[in-house]
Amino acid sequence: MADNDTPLSRRTVLKSTAVAGAAGLAGCTGGGNGSGSDAIELLHAWSSGDGNAAIEALVGGFREEHPDIEFGEDPVNGAARSNLDQVVSNRLQANDPPSTFQTWPGQTLTKFGDAYADIEGDVWTDDLKNNYLAGPKEQAQLDGTYVTVPLNIHRINNLFYNTSVLEEADVDPESLSTPADVVDACEAVSQNTDAVPFAHQTSGSWSTTQLWETILLAEGGIDGYNAFIEGDGDVDQVRSALENVVELSEYYPSDASSISFTEANTMVMEGDAAFIHQGDWAAGAYSGNDEFNYGEDWGQITYPGTSGNYLLNMDSFPYFDNNPSAEATKTFLSYCGTAEAQVLFNKEKGSIPPREDADVSELNTFQQDQYEDFTSSDNQPPSIEHGLAVSPNIKTNISDAFSGFLEENDPDATADALISAFQ
Amino acid sequence: MRKLIARVRNRWSDSDVRTDGGEVSAERSLLRRDSIRSAPFWLPPFLLVGLFVYGAVLWNFVLSLTDFQGLGAPDYSSLDFENYVIAFNGGTPTWSELTVDPVWNSLQNTIILMVVFAVVCLVLGLLLAILVDRNIRFEDTFRTIYLLPMSLSFVVTAKFWLYMYNPQTGLINAAIGLVGIGPVEIVQNPDLKLGAVAFALIWQFSGYAMIVYLAALRGIPTSHFEAARVDGASTVRMYWRVIIPQLRTATVSALVVITVFALKAFDFLFSMYGGYQPGPSADILATRMVREAYANQNWAYGSTIAVILFVMALFIVTPYIYTQYTRGEL
Repeated sequence: MADNDTPLSRRTVLKSTAVAGAAGLAGCTGGGNGSGSDAIELLHAWSSGDGNAAIEALVGGFREEHPDIEFGEDPVNGAARSNLDQVVSNRLQANDPPSTFQTWPGQTLTKFGDAYADIEGDVWTDDLKNNYLAGPKEQAQLDGTYVTVPLNIHRINNLFYNTSVLEEADVDPESLSTPADVVDACEAVSQNTDAVPFAHQTSGSWSTTQLWETILLAEGGIDGYNAFIEGDGDVDQVRSALENVVELSEYYPSDASSISFTEANTMVMEGDAAFIHQGDWAAGAYSGNDEFNYGEDWGQITYPGTSGNYLLNMDSFPYFDNNPSAEATKTFLSYCGTAEAQVLFNKEKGSIPPREDADVSELNTFQQDQYEDFTSSDNQPPSIEHGLAVSPNIKTNISDAFSGFLEENDPDATADALISAFQ
Repeated sequence: MRKLIARVRNRWSDSDVRTDGGEVSAERSLLRRDSIRSAPFWLPPFLLVGLFVYGAVLWNFVLSLTDFQGLGAPDYSSLDFENYVIAFNGGTPTWSELTVDPVWNSLQNTIILMVVFAVVCLVLGLLLAILVDRNIRFEDTFRTIYLLPMSLSFVVTAKFWLYMYNPQTGLINAAIGLVGIGPVEIVQNPDLKLGAVAFALIWQFSGYAMIVYLAALRGIPTSHFEAARVDGASTVRMYWRVIIPQLRTATVSALVVITVFALKAFDFLFSMYGGYQPGPSADILATRMVREAYANQNWAYGSTIAVILFVMALFIVTPYIYTQYTRGEL
């Protein structure tokens, strides 16, 4: 190309390059500190379904009570749960924490440990301390300091069943008292009916981990369970619980590895399966079905062998140090600690309030029964799979062990891996 | 200083416009050089890529030498290769109370996946390309059908193959059921898991290899085919001795793209197994890296695995770039 006929002058090129560069840089530096100073910024992953309805009810209730306190422009910041932690982590690295976010309490708090601040006195008043049961109260603390406010409780040690399938199989759910009884009941179902005895999914490891932790609680009792989560577990108890899971696995759907939890749960609703072990969010799907009613078409028992225990899975809102809206956040967290707010939230979420003085008459019959179990329970141990009982690193090791268990079904190797997860 | 500016200006204004493409004499060349004069075009993207790609790669390497873990800022004052020792030997690093497993298992899976996937993809792509190239009817339709899976995202294909592998209703088990085998558990079967993942990826990407080969085949003059025919070569011999040797460039460029896809099979595993825990027999470096970095917040160790992955990618890409360079195509 000859220099003289350049269609663009050097100056034009330089100018356009500069403009393009400036635009690019502007794109990089934009955003950031836009929001107003005192607006509450709540990050959560409840962007659809019952979770979304629940958080809207909670925020609606708060706005009614405190019309002067602003929420950030869009309080509903949707993100998948696993991404949410990542978003918060990045914000904390940049020293720009949100007001609060949705997180599991308990040992999950160790992940952002130093970033939280003590809210005893400001939020955790005597009222809260007197009305939360011991289990949830313990989970609200990080090394003895109150840093978060639990909002709801999902229970893990449930066994749901389809009434008509069990009647056909001639199994009385109330008569089951040990994990071995569940295996026998499954055998009866497989002999007497065409239904799958135990609906379960194995494409991901989480359902199996929570099933195993429930059975460990049944076989080892609260002491054995607590010993395990403190890193001092008895390998025989761990193995025996795993062996029980292997026995149960004979009664899973044959395509367990290709289905999701929703599909497994639907099998129970449609009478294609007898039992399912799940957190009580499974009941959320049942209550959406008018043809499938609590007490008539389906029922729930405390997982055999775990009576007196309410195995906890909770969500909570922690308080960050260096809070962008200190006073407003504390007001909001205090509101979340009231029985009224918890009823508003849990009515939609299908879980129960962590306070023992809540008026649950507005909740459905199943929730009321669960609440009664909760308030009369002796122990409220924290769930392993749902992040309360062990720190995130140990939980990764445990999930690793179970992803191997799903492949090999080997109780010995998995028991060793679970014990060494703490080392 | 003023002298210098004057000299530069002098050069700028005095220099001749050379239209014959000849070289400008050395002492006058500085500002007249093509590379300098074209700087407004290449310099901004060069700097941006340098900063955001190579800068990030370098920073990642430096991070892997730190003990960065949890919240806060990395400490660059004490750099060592501890994480690499841990990655290959396992043990308890200074930044953790828990033992950390070495990466051998995921490294092995990554290499198996990469080799099987790449080789089968290329062979299958070549066969398809030869078939489609032989003036068949509905050639365009076939080409589209073979290429279509590549347009799907990993998330879609993972869910799709989860259905395909279903022991009760999946097509794969229905097919092997016809010859009297099965139903077979595939998704959580330690012996078949990695193969099942590779198979699904091959299904998705062999169409890409086909397109690359097809383009190369179209570039070979008809006379080569005719000459081989006149000399009495059979079809197989013609392709083996005359045509395939000419597809070397196509092979190498398809290979690079395909192996890079294999290294990125993370999305597929993530969707298929509902998280970054696909189980020991399908765990690859990418899933391990994400687990260490985002589940455990072992940032430095995650960076170490990323560097290992990067070096593996370099092993693939460097020979390609080097051959391109020696052949003057770069």
